[in-house]
Amino acid sequence: MKIAVCVKHAVDEAELKIDPAGNPLLAGAAGKMSTFDKNAVEEGLRLKAAHQGAVVVFTVGGAESKKTLKEALAMGADRGVMVVSDPTALDALRTATMLAAAMKKSGPFDVVICSEGASDTYTGEVPPMVGELLGVPYVGYARKIAVEGKTARIERSLEDSVESVEAPVPFATSVVSEINEPRYPTLIQIMQASKKPIEELSGEELAPAGSRTWVEVLSMSSQPTARKHVMIDGSPDEAAAKLLDALSKEGVLK
Amino acid sequence: MSGEVWVYSESEAVASEVATAADDVAKGASAHVRMVDISSLRPTTRGSGARLLLKGPPSPEVSPAVAAEALARAARELAPLAILLGATRDGREAASRLAAKLGVGCMAEVAGLASDGQGMTGERDVFAGKVVAKVRCRFPAVATVKVGAYPRAVAQPADAQEKDVGPIPDQTKTLGREKKQAGSVDLRSAKVIVSAGRGVKKKEDLAILAELATAMRGALGCSRPLSSDLGWLPEEHHIGLTGVTVKPDLYLAVGISGQLQHVAGMKDSKIVASINTDKDAPIFQASDYGIVGDLYQVVPALRRALAARR
Amino acid sequence: MAGLDIGYLAAYAISLASVVVVAFVTLSLARKWSISLGPGRVAGLGRDEARRLRTGDAVFLMHLSIALGVGVTIVDAVIAPAMAGVPLLLDLFRAASVPLIVGLVVAFGWRVQRYYQSRRVGRGLGVPGGFASASTALQLVLMAAIALTTSELVLLWVPTLGWADLILDAVRNALVAAYYARPSVNLIAKFDRPLNSVSTPFNLADVIAGKTDPGAIRAGVGKVSEFSPDQSLSFDSCVEIGACEASCPATAAGRPLSPRVLVRKLSLLSRADGGGSDVLTSVGEDELWSCTSCGACVASCPVSVKHLDLIYDLRRELVSKGRLDREKSAMLANLAQSQNPYGFKNAARASWAEGMDVDTLQSNPKTEYLYWVGCVSSFDQRAQRVARALSKILKHAGVSFAILGAEEMCVGDPARRLGEEGRYQELVLQNIEKLNSYGVKKILATCPHCFNALKNEYPQFGGKFEVVYHTQLISDLIREGKVSVPPDKVQRISVTLHDACYASRYNNIFEPPREMLEASVDDVREMGRRKEKTFCCGAGGSNYWFKVPQQKSIAGIRAEEAAGTGAKTIATECPFCLSMLDDATKVSGSGMDVRDVAEIVAECI
Ligand SMILES: Cc1cc2nc3c(=O)[nH]c(=O)nc-3n(C[C@H](O)[C@H](O)[C@H](O)COP(=O)(O)OP(=O)(O)OC[C@H]3O[C@@H](n4cnc5c(N)ncnc54)[C@H](O)[C@@H]3O)c2cc1C
Ligand code: SF4
Repeated sequence: MKIAVCVKHAVDEAELKIDPAGNPLLAGAAGKMSTFDKNAVEEGLRLKAAHQGAVVVFTVGGAESKKTLKEALAMGADRGVMVVSDPTALDALRTATMLAAAMKKSGPFDVVICSEGASDTYTGEVPPMVGELLGVPYVGYARKIAVEGKTARIERSLEDSVESVEAPVPFATSVVSEINEPRYPTLIQIMQASKKPIEELSGEELAPAGSRTWVEVLSMSSQPTARKHVMIDGSPDEAAAKLLDALSKEGVLK
Repeated sequence: MSGEVWVYSESEAVASEVATAADDVAKGASAHVRMVDISSLRPTTRGSGARLLLKGPPSPEVSPAVAAEALARAARELAPLAILLGATRDGREAASRLAAKLGVGCMAEVAGLASDGQGMTGERDVFAGKVVAKVRCRFPAVATVKVGAYPRAVAQPADAQEKDVGPIPDQTKTLGREKKQAGSVDLRSAKVIVSAGRGVKKKEDLAILAELATAMRGALGCSRPLSSDLGWLPEEHHIGLTGVTVKPDLYLAVGISGQLQHVAGMKDSKIVASINTDKDAPIFQASDYGIVGDLYQVVPALRRALAARR
Repeated sequence: MAGLDIGYLAAYAISLASVVVVAFVTLSLARKWSISLGPGRVAGLGRDEARRLRTGDAVFLMHLSIALGVGVTIVDAVIAPAMAGVPLLLDLFRAASVPLIVGLVVAFGWRVQRYYQSRRVGRGLGVPGGFASASTALQLVLMAAIALTTSELVLLWVPTLGWADLILDAVRNALVAAYYARPSVNLIAKFDRPLNSVSTPFNLADVIAGKTDPGAIRAGVGKVSEFSPDQSLSFDSCVEIGACEASCPATAAGRPLSPRVLVRKLSLLSRADGGGSDVLTSVGEDELWSCTSCGACVASCPVSVKHLDLIYDLRRELVSKGRLDREKSAMLANLAQSQNPYGFKNAARASWAEGMDVDTLQSNPKTEYLYWVGCVSSFDQRAQRVARALSKILKHAGVSFAILGAEEMCVGDPARRLGEEGRYQELVLQNIEKLNSYGVKKILATCPHCFNALKNEYPQFGGKFEVVYHTQLISDLIREGKVSVPPDKVQRISVTLHDACYASRYNNIFEPPREMLEASVDDVREMGRRKEKTFCCGAGGSNYWFKVPQQKSIAGIRAEEAAGTGAKTIATECPFCLSMLDDATKVSGSGMDVRDVAEIVAECI
């Protein structure tokens, strides 16, 4: 079974610094493998363990992305494909276009695994787009994947229900974090992985002529990160009402 | 310039919310709103403009793949300026595929939508909610609208215009769908968590917190003593250093003192609110909103207030 | 000597031959493992045994009775023909036999009791039948050896049966050659190896420098045959004395671990199929995670089996295989990402010092001490109070010190104890570089895990500092009069001290915390298990960061023992112990107060 896994070298949101004017300092910000991508790599490795084959990890990004690719290789992936492109000029469709083109080059793959969304931007758009551009069936938000012969059974974890779906192989999917427990690669395994092959491709060359960045970021501003420490007083009923008002205003009550 | 802004969501309630967002876009772009239905009309959706019924897909259960294809076929012919979907999981999937089919941009989970006539802008949370990014995509464009960010529209759309998009085969087969049980909700993916601490006196009293969690469409978590020492809840409910790490939109800590080992597991929650009798409890240091009070009074009050709102 | 009968001569010859066999077997085992049995080693062993004798450890006394009993009876057998002619000699032997007989009878009783204990532990762990019978067989052999030695000593008092004594001696010597020679060799090889030494499977600096190929590194042991000769000598030397099991907090808490069972399993595995099978099919994951690295097993073993050495290598294997649950991998990922096990931002490390006017090395690099705060005292609100108390004392005494603040990182101990040697060494190298860049000479620590790593482990990686434990410095300050508690400030409370394993057993710091208490409270009580025999709080060996199935909590057992002294306060000297016992006393509802010794002193000045 040939398995492709997409990973992103994401901005480490916990370490992200904000300047006094409220602008995030993205240049030189610390990065890490996007949290749920570890689940995607893990699922690829598990499928490989069950069905033999190879796991190829793909990433699109700047030179730093190699670190994340290496981490995936340290976890046990067989080889990496690095699509070099300026990460500040990437939107979901452009990223997906490059990924799909890279996969066509080194494919075909039986299974393409992404995670439900990147931990920094969390658009969750790349996985379905890659599926679409590869022209394979796509089943997202998988919390369980079982492949038997030419059919896969996938449990999709939706907001308040679980949907069982059958898809033919090849297919593309995105996984949610509950699907597995990603393994921790040791430092030595990370160093050992530097021997595994990484192929470098140019994103500009992969993307077909005329494709471009559609969604542009106009500005970014930080929300206050410190807790607000608002104490609500009044009788239980008054306090409850005030709290619900505040929570609706925050947009966290559904 | 005149054109259309389409609204679609597989959820009727969400579609009515998206309709409100669509009004904002339509205003800036001097366009009309169209409430799209696929395969059959859903009379309960609300929104301005007229309905557009896409006929072809046989089943009323429309998968994201089928929805994306139906919308793409119609859009290629009718060329709307923008297509807005709800940012549910199915909606995000459908929107992304639609954008890829049409070769246009897609803004994910946006609120604060507006249009300058040439394109639309929106705001979305990035970096775990630490930063708000203002994004823009020129027309034609697709977007998913953050659920809960807009009130539902009230207007009754005008009569439906029909469009036949032809049969659409689904490559995948849905075998079944099961409701998630309230208790079994995975804490790590829960958007709201009500978490119980040793302030709860008896195991039976957990029921009032479980009810509150259900009413808030959330899951019930706890501090370690409740699971590991008292055994009132299964281990997987325990949040903290030695338990699960969670990042919900709302973390409501009830009768939890807020020891570091607990806070380590919920510190990245977007909003933290807490209820504790002790005004000096450290949990208030880790909270956005705090109520100093007895959970046995405040929690029922919250239930009443919630019920009154729905 | 009259009537040199043939029977007696034959018995003597057999007995002599058996002595030669014992000597031969011992020497060849020593040669096999290239271990010196020279007079220097043996004298060193003698001194160490004398030191342990002074600790009055019952198991050790019994072990000594067996060793001396065997020695005395061998000498007796060798000089037996001369004995009849020199009545004084016989009297001497008879005199010596009395305490030894007592010791041996007690040892026999211990064995019988351990036998029943081991059966119970075995049932609890669900050991396979084959293991249980092998274990029983070995225990019976050793009971026989004790019984024979005792009989020999008793027979000294029955002059007419001279030859029977010799035959018993020969039989017993055969058992000694078969079962005691190996542990003796192991003991001579390792009696002076410090508890705090940890094997280093590779040197990260060499890997970074390109001197070692990372691909060639094997961290961990998956098959018994991969253990080093030194390690296999360790597990093959176990004679089921059971002292480890009796002192192990994990066993006491009903966790799935007994150090005796673990070591014997490895020994039996190595014989079963040449050690080629996967260890982890016989040794469970939670069995390995149960260990708190408290060192009680190693310290109590009369024949110097080094259990921890084995456990670390097996944990390294689990880590390399990725067999980690969420808590463990999250902790390691936090160390990798945030350089502290909590995953908090290091920027907040000095928040405890706000408003206290504590210097950082950046602002004042000329201070005498660097106070290494450690992650727990940096982030845990309860333990932050210890850092504040220490600062108060140091300022009061005019000691100049500074902290690293946001630049401090984890010392690495949690990674090493969990079995992630690479991450550990990475932190060590980064820390050494930082410390050297500030020209740090003296380091003060309030966490014994930081202290132990900095003092005993960092030198191997090139970090040479003078490292002082807070109790050492404060007790010195008290002795020098720089910190003094006026009589009216002495607290009228009853306190019992919980020795931290890594301060006491690992680093022999016993008196300083006691001196601090003597100076600041009026009622100090001692628990039975104290100083080198202290009982773990349950947090060591990285156990603070994950859960293991157990029947009771280790901290709960210890808190109960503390309550048994009648004291109202438990004094701790380690932030982990503080956190564990604080939690345990809350769970038990005993209402005991838990405070660091530094807090207690700080309240009095
Ligand atoms: C190694 C280690 C690991 C640990 N890991 C974790 C972990 O992963 N997760 C975790 O949660 N804990 C963990 N703990 C335990 C932690 O230290 C605390 O003991 C625990 O979080 C306390 O739980 P609590 O807040 O529910 O209870 P308490 O600390 O007892 O707090 C109860 C709170 O309820 C309030 N209260 C009482 N009555 C009422 C009422 N009627 N209405 C409202 N409020 C009321 C009180 O004021 C108090 O603040 C760990 C401890 C150790 C030592
Ligand atoms: S180090 Fe402590 S916990 Fe580990 S096996 Fe030995 S006695 Fe038991």
